[in-house]
Amino acid sequence: MATRRSTRHDGEQGVRFSRTVFIALLVLSCALIAFDRPQSRSDTFARIRAGFTDLTAPVLELAAQPLRAIKNIGPYFRRQGELAQENADLRQQLIEARYWEDLAYRQRDRIEIYEDALNVDTPATQDRIGAWTVADPRGPFVRARLIGRGAQSGIEDGYPVINLYGLVGRVYETGRHSARVLLLTDLNSRIPVMADRSNARAILVGDNSPFPRLEYVGRAPDIQPGDRIVSSGDDGILPRGLPVGEAVATREGGWRVRLYSDQAPIDFVWVWPYRRVTPPDEEVSTDEAGLLDPEEAGPATAEPVAEAAPVGADSGDEEGRAAVDPEAQP
Amino acid sequence: MRKPTDRSSIWTSVALCVFTVLLALVTQAAPTRLIDGISVMPTWPLMVIFLWSGLRPHFMPPIVIFAVGLAQDLLTGAPMGVWALSYLVALAVCRFRGEDGMPRDLPPVLLRFGATLLLAHGIAFAAGSFALEQMADLQLLIIELAATMLMFPLLAFLALRNRRPGRSGFIGG
Repeated sequence: MATRRSTRHDGEQGVRFSRTVFIALLVLSCALIAFDRPQSRSDTFARIRAGFTDLTAPVLELAAQPLRAIKNIGPYFRRQGELAQENADLRQQLIEARYWEDLAYRQRDRIEIYEDALNVDTPATQDRIGAWTVADPRGPFVRARLIGRGAQSGIEDGYPVINLYGLVGRVYETGRHSARVLLLTDLNSRIPVMADRSNARAILVGDNSPFPRLEYVGRAPDIQPGDRIVSSGDDGILPRGLPVGEAVATREGGWRVRLYSDQAPIDFVWVWPYRRVTPPDEEVSTDEAGLLDPEEAGPATAEPVAEAAPVGADSGDEEGRAAVDPEAQP
Repeated sequence: MRKPTDRSSIWTSVALCVFTVLLALVTQAAPTRLIDGISVMPTWPLMVIFLWSGLRPHFMPPIVIFAVGLAQDLLTGAPMGVWALSYLVALAVCRFRGEDGMPRDLPPVLLRFGATLLLAHGIAFAAGSFALEQMADLQLLIIELAATMLMFPLLAFLALRNRRPGRSGFIGG
């Protein structure tokens, strides 16, 4: 009898949905959907989202630990039988890599000489920030990962994210201790790329499939199946030359890219604190906006690009350069 | 008058409810793709909400359902309000009503959950497409729906196993 009364109590008080609260929550949900659109998200919503991910990141990090351990079990046992052969292959690769290492050092020295001559300051690749993936939610709306490093580690929105093999995506929501990475396969991802062989430009468009599309390639694009696709650096969103993937022709006559980053699970990534280098023509337009003294900027000519470079270089005035390009500070 | 054992049983249920909801949310966001070959994720929070709203309806008032949906939105990076709205509407329409609440037999529970799942995913698809200003990934949504329907009987069996025999009988809304 007591049991029966208890059940009735549940039935009378618990099941009932308060109509006022229910309608209020419905309205609130609809308002959130209407105002929290990825294309036009306000700073307030972005801050709320980043704050929530900051709160949950430690819990998710804790939950990811055993999964990482499980992940390594399979490959560990699979590799045991092939260790000797793998060791020999790696030794051979190491010998070949010595040549490329030497070449890379020489190229770095050459680039440093050029950068000194042009007075350009680009971030070094060594500055990249390592981070573990703490959440990998799958769903029909967003293809994104949550990483366990945020603004406190120097990460900002827009920074490119790479793994061992290539470009993974971009940072788009940065909290203090966490950040969300928009993957190249996401519906909202647009990356300017080019074919490494021919420099043919295109836009890499995510469509939630594992192979993002190449769009705006032109009528007769100089792209071949298997071409290495890298970031073009156009518009300064991403640095030039980041490996993205391999061109694959589709049956419909279009092009898609097999991503290099998919060769391994994206559990550990590097965030590259890339700052956009202001092109010389934009420096001129900044000068025209009145940020620099017109006398310092020099006379306006028909070839602004040719004239712009000497402005900073000839004057040798670091303060003046900082006024033109505040982001160029190290 | 309620016995002390009843009170402790309620607190145990509350703790279990909170734990299962949090576990469902964390699992939904967990990086399980790290394990080779696994890339399908059922909608765990909906399963947990549905079962608790049947077993202990007073644990799942609208505000809690809304909060769980919103947490899922924020964890998965979806536009805010999408899962909150879909869970609210689906549970309001398809929840078990009547004084006996959820029946003890599995088939009617599965049937009711199927309807809830379809409605929730339908609303989520429409709301998500509206927020994204383009069609959401329908294929993935269907895969998620199928995975959820396949996983649910196991959870439902575990949840219904411990129910008292006196609560049998399906009284729908």
